[in-house]
Amino acid sequence: MDDAVVTPTERPASRSIGILTRVVRVVGWTSIVVGVLILGFVVQQLFVTTWFAQQHQTALAEEAEQHFITAEISETEYIPPAPGGTPGNGAVTPGGGGWSTDEQPPMDSERRTLLIESRPETGSAFAIIRIPTIDRLKDGWVVVEGVQLRNLKNGAGHMPHTPLPGMPGNAVISGHRTTYGAPFHELDELNPGDTIEVDTAVGTHIYEVREVIIVRPTELWVTEPRDGAWLTLTTCHPKFSARQRLIVFAELVGGPNWEVIYT
Amino acid sequence: MRQWFLGLPGPMPLKVVIAVVVVVVGLVALFFVYDWIGTNMLDSGGTIG
Repeated sequence: MDDAVVTPTERPASRSIGILTRVVRVVGWTSIVVGVLILGFVVQQLFVTTWFAQQHQTALAEEAEQHFITAEISETEYIPPAPGGTPGNGAVTPGGGGWSTDEQPPMDSERRTLLIESRPETGSAFAIIRIPTIDRLKDGWVVVEGVQLRNLKNGAGHMPHTPLPGMPGNAVISGHRTTYGAPFHELDELNPGDTIEVDTAVGTHIYEVREVIIVRPTELWVTEPRDGAWLTLTTCHPKFSARQRLIVFAELVGGPNWEVIYT
Repeated sequence: MRQWFLGLPGPMPLKVVIAVVVVVVGLVALFFVYDWIGTNMLDSGGTIG
């Protein structure tokens, strides 16, 4: 029974060991729980969202193909912007500059018709974007109408109130860079001269990259109308951050409407 | 966990149902929180404005 007797000097020591054990246990369990939550976050954001996006893409690809067959295509007269900046149904620069002096618009007597498709409903798949130099996009990624979060979870999103791809002005398409399939993950690898193709019901529009820049998310000027026919791609920058935006400006160089707009 | 489960009200089948519902609701809530954090900090979709 002498063994069970605790001397006054041993008591505080064993008590502190007990407290220390409890603290270590709480810290240990907290670390495990936090670690599991962080791991869950990474798995959910990188893999689960991508899995969902790929499932949506499969269904949307069929929807887009159907849209190419059933969409109503019409012809409309193309009136390019006047030298003074008066808009036709083409585009003018943000400053209203219209055509430059060495790039005169055609005479009024020239009749030119654009092939146009009716504006798709929000959320519907209407185009496929393909970038041959980017692995993830060389087979194409479906573009849906709208840039709400729910739209961008399914595919790249076309900004409403900007022209459809292949039309005069500035067609803007946004896409995820890290999550939901990350279609624009490697957009920073594009260089001036690289080709971007966009399939629509009208045909395949071919763009050539002119400029890649980084801006703040609030810099709306990148979406403003431009002379000619442009495609602007926007995504988050840097990777794994929503702090800035990577912008790719590309100009139409081929397709069913190119000749009408540029000659 | 075991104590929490045994502390749930009702007979065993009801305890199981309640536990499943609590876990599912918890996971869904966790996914919403993950989505919110991801959208605001990791990748907002690249929209402008």
